[in-house]
Amino acid sequence: MGSKMIRDLVILLAIAGALFVGGYFTVREINKTDFELSHQVSIEQEEELGNVLKDVMIDQYKIVEDNMADSAIQAIKTRLVSAIDSTPYRYEIKIIKNEQINAFTMPGGNIYVFSGLIKAADSPEEVASVLAHEIGHAEKRHVVTRLINDMSTTAILGILSGGDPSVVAEILKSIAGNKFNREQEMEADKFALQLLEDSHVPPKALARFFERLNDKDFDYNEDLEILMTHPHNNRRIEQARKYKTRNNFKAEPFNFDWEKVQQSL
Amino acid sequence: MEFYPLQQPEEISEREKEDAMGSYLMMFAAVAIGLPLPIINLIASIIYYFINRKKSRFIHFHCLQALLTQIPTTVINWVAVIWAVTIFFTDRTTTEIFWAYVIFAGASTFLYFIFNLIAAFKARQGKMYYFLLFGNLCYQAVYRVKASDNIQSSEPVNKPPF
Repeated sequence: MGSKMIRDLVILLAIAGALFVGGYFTVREINKTDFELSHQVSIEQEEELGNVLKDVMIDQYKIVEDNMADSAIQAIKTRLVSAIDSTPYRYEIKIIKNEQINAFTMPGGNIYVFSGLIKAADSPEEVASVLAHEIGHAEKRHVVTRLINDMSTTAILGILSGGDPSVVAEILKSIAGNKFNREQEMEADKFALQLLEDSHVPPKALARFFERLNDKDFDYNEDLEILMTHPHNNRRIEQARKYKTRNNFKAEPFNFDWEKVQQSL
Repeated sequence: MEFYPLQQPEEISEREKEDAMGSYLMMFAAVAIGLPLPIINLIASIIYYFINRKKSRFIHFHCLQALLTQIPTTVINWVAVIWAVTIFFTDRTTTEIFWAYVIFAGASTFLYFIFNLIAAFKARQGKMYYFLLFGNLCYQAVYRVKASDNIQSSEPVNKPPF
């Protein structure tokens, strides 16, 4: 009698185990879809795509170069990128002369930050936190995934061989639409917090910037990707505020005269 | 080890069959009332068990089996609820393991519902139906002749005057 009960118990545990493993692989399969989507476009193709779009951006916007603000942004970029273990991208961060408070990531590690955002930031650490978040989107390949979700891979890759200019416009529209989903935003935040810590930038800078943007009196672009009007944002602020740094974490402030950097724009 | 003989379907009254079936069926209504907190069904089964267990061994067996088989699914569902609430009040980030568990809990509950319906159907026909492991446990708990039963039968409380 005892051995039959043990056999029954083993069968029940096996069924439970099979259900759990089956569930796990189902979830993996669903999640893999995004991962597989992003891998329909190789890093090299993404870089080429980024270069095509970069040319369009340069034509459409006034890029701020060779001034104090640009130097400051490059210094922030160097600090952040050197803290990433390994990255397939050669990051380029450009300032767009525009009063909107905005920043976005283009394919191939091209990040654009609006001069309005730099002016709105209280410190270089706050700008670093926004850039770390954008780098997070690039590293997690959210931009490519979103593009593939919005349009076909064939259409996207078509522009590499001098394809339809309307597709380029559509891609830019998709990127400007800032439609990262909640999971992607959270993932980019997590990446940013870790990267800030590794770069000796206080991760709370991200929360500070979020909080100020959340202030109703603060006039910001509604399309701002990093803080869309989303009920989930308070959670993101909380996550950034509660982020625990290592015990031996030591912040290394940027040596800029931030007011002069802002005035140079 | 000695066991009381099993009653055959024709020896079981309609009332007994219905009471036995009820032990499985009532949990469906109780689950609906208890959602999203899966506890009402268990409480209802405990009450049903204590009300009906003395009616007959056939009813006792089915009530006990309906009660015991609910414990694992209740625990599994409670873990899912507590886990989900914890996530809601912390960083609201779900993991693959969490979703795998949710699927596991859902599938387990669904399977349990199916087998519960089968058990209810069998009970209504006056038949025994044994769940894996629990069927055996319940049979032993209800049908095994206990030492106290023998004592009682060898030394009756009511005796003739001579």
